[in-house]
Amino acid sequence: MLSGLMMVLTTSCFGDEPANCEADIEAAILHVNNPESFFYQLTDSLQHVMSTDTAIVFTVKGNADVTALSPRFTLTPGATISPANGSTHDFSNGPVKYVVTSEDGKWTRCYTVKIVPTVHTVADTLAFDFEHYELETASGRYYTWHNLLHDGTLGNDWATANAGYRISMSTAAPMDYPTTPVINGYDGAAVCLRTSDTGPFGKMANKRLAAGNLFLGTFDIQIAMSDHLHATRFGIPFTSRPESFTGYYTFEPGDFVQDFYGNPIPNRTDSADIYAVFYRNHDAAGNEVVLYGDNVLTSEQIVAIAELDYVEPTTQWKAWNVKFEYLEDVDEELLANRGYSLAIVFSSSSAGGSFTGAIGSRLCVDKVRLICTTQE
Amino acid sequence: MSITRILTSAVLAALAAMSIQAGVLDSVRVDARLGYSIGGTLPTRIGHEIRGINNFNLGLHFTVAAEATLPINERWSVHSGLRYEMGGMDVDSRVKNYDIEVVKGDESLSGIFNGNVRIKSTQRRITLPVQAAYSLSNSVSLRGGLFMGWLTHRRFWGWAYDGYLREGTPVGAKIEMGTEPGDRGDFEFDHNMRIMQWGLDVGADWQFHQRWGLYAELTYGFNGLFKSDFHSVQTLRPMYGTIGISYRIK
Repeated sequence: MLSGLMMVLTTSCFGDEPANCEADIEAAILHVNNPESFFYQLTDSLQHVMSTDTAIVFTVKGNADVTALSPRFTLTPGATISPANGSTHDFSNGPVKYVVTSEDGKWTRCYTVKIVPTVHTVADTLAFDFEHYELETASGRYYTWHNLLHDGTLGNDWATANAGYRISMSTAAPMDYPTTPVINGYDGAAVCLRTSDTGPFGKMANKRLAAGNLFLGTFDIQIAMSDHLHATRFGIPFTSRPESFTGYYTFEPGDFVQDFYGNPIPNRTDSADIYAVFYRNHDAAGNEVVLYGDNVLTSEQIVAIAELDYVEPTTQWKAWNVKFEYLEDVDEELLANRGYSLAIVFSSSSAGGSFTGAIGSRLCVDKVRLICTTQE
Repeated sequence: MSITRILTSAVLAALAAMSIQAGVLDSVRVDARLGYSIGGTLPTRIGHEIRGINNFNLGLHFTVAAEATLPINERWSVHSGLRYEMGGMDVDSRVKNYDIEVVKGDESLSGIFNGNVRIKSTQRRITLPVQAAYSLSNSVSLRGGLFMGWLTHRRFWGWAYDGYLREGTPVGAKIEMGTEPGDRGDFEFDHNMRIMQWGLDVGADWQFHQRWGLYAELTYGFNGLFKSDFHSVQTLRPMYGTIGISYRIK
C-alpha cells in the first residue's frame, strides 16, 4: 500500500516546470580594448550584483573614454533585458537605465548602470559625522547611512546588518533595529549600535542576539542566514595612507553577557569594538579580496590596524585617538591604483559574530576622523 | 458544527433504534481491533511548483479500537465504535516558485522559495465512525460511512533548506537557506491544525475464525488538516489506511 501511494505520488503528478519569475542582473561585465588604461584594477571590469542592488557602478580611470561602451549582463535564466544586452551607450551623460523582465513575463526590475571616471584623490583627513541617514528606500523598515564625499555628493560606503535583523524581526519598528540614529550626539547626530534580541526566530536558530554594527563595506543579505560571518564584507577601496583614527564614543554594557545558548556567563562585562583595518584588496594571484567577519583582524592581506584596545564603559562622550600600526610598507603605485582597501568597524558586542554578548549593550559613535598622509 | 450534529443524531438514532427493539442488544457483536495505520496527511494535488519528491515516508503507526455491529436484517447492519489512531508523515520535496511562509511567534518571513522543503507531522486522534455494513457472505462484509475525529496530539513542522527565498515577491531580497538548524528556514504550525476532523470511512471485514478476523480501513478527511484561515502550507487532507486483526469479544 505504501509503495502504491509512492508510485502515485512520484510518477503521475508533476506538471511542466514553471517559468522563472525572477528578474535579476546577477553580474555586469564591461569589456574594453585596453583594460589596463581603462580600469585601475582588471577585476573592476566585473561587478557581482547583489539581489538588493539596483545601481551598478563601474569605477574607471579619470581619463577613460565612456562615450561608447557596451556592458553585458548575466541575467536570471530566461529573463530578458531592455535595452539589449551588450548594446552600446554613451555613459558620459550619467547613468543608463535598463529594465529586466522575468521569463514568465510577470515581474520586472529596473537598474541603473553608471560608469564613473574617478581621479585618484588624496585626502588629508576624512570626516564621518553621521548626519546623513534615511529609512531604507525599498522597505522603509530600518535606517541606512550615507557618507559625504569630497565633491559634496552622498556616498553609500557605510553598511550595517540591519537588513539581516529584518529577517528575524519582521515586526520591529525602525528605532528597534540594532543600528539607529541619535539626534543629539557629540556634535549633531550620532549613530547608536545596540545589541538586540532576535526574538523567537533567533532563539530557534541559536542566534539569540544581533550586535549593532556599522562598517565601511557592504552587507550581503543573501548569505545572512546561511553564512553570517561572510555577509559582512568589510572595506572600500582607499587611496590615501591612513595614519590615525579618532572619534568620540559612549559605551554602556548590557546587564549580563549570554552565550550562544542564551545562558548567562557570570562575572563578565560585555566589550565593544572600535577599529580600522587597511589591507591589500588583491591577493598574489590577482584575485579580488574583501575581509569578512572571521578574518578582518587576522588576514594576511592586512597592512595596518588601528584598534582601540579597551572601549571603556562611559556615559559621557569620550574621545579616542589611535595610530595605525603598520605591518608592512605601503606601495605608492598600488595605493594610487586603488589596490588597498580600508575598513572601519564598530560593534556593540565584540563577540556578536558568535552570538555572544549582552542584550542592551549600547555603543554610540560620532565625529569620526581618519587622518592620512598626503602623497607627495 | 452541523456535521457534528448530523453524526451525533445518527448515533442517537441508532442507539434509539436498538433500545426500541427489545432484546436487540443481544444481537450486537463487539470486536476489539488492532491495526497498522499508514498515513496522516496527503496533499490534495501536487502543483507544478513541486518538482520532485526526495524522500517520502508516511510512517507506520498503531490503531486500537473497540467496535460494535448491530444487525438490522440479514444483510445490513449498523457499525460504530471508538478508535485511537496514530498517524504522521515525513515528506521531503524539491520545489520551485513555491509560496512559503515561515512563522514563529509574532514574527514571520514569507516569499517565493526555490529549493527543498521537508514537512513532518505527527497526530493522535480519537475517531468515532458511523457506518452501514453489508454482508457479502457469512464471513465477509463491506462497510461505508462517515467518521468524526478529534486530535489529542497534533504536531506539524519542517524546514525549507538548500535553496533561497525571494522575500515577499520574486523580485525581493534573495536570502539563501542552508541545511543545518539555524541556517535553514524552520516552521512550526501545530496550533494552526484543526482539532476536529470528519470525512469518509470505508472498510472491509473477513471473519476467518469464530473469534478472529482481518480488516482493512480507509479514511479520507473532507476538511483540511489546517484551519480555513491558514494559508502558509498548501491544503493537506487527513488520510489513513489501516490493516489489522479483530477479535470478537461478544
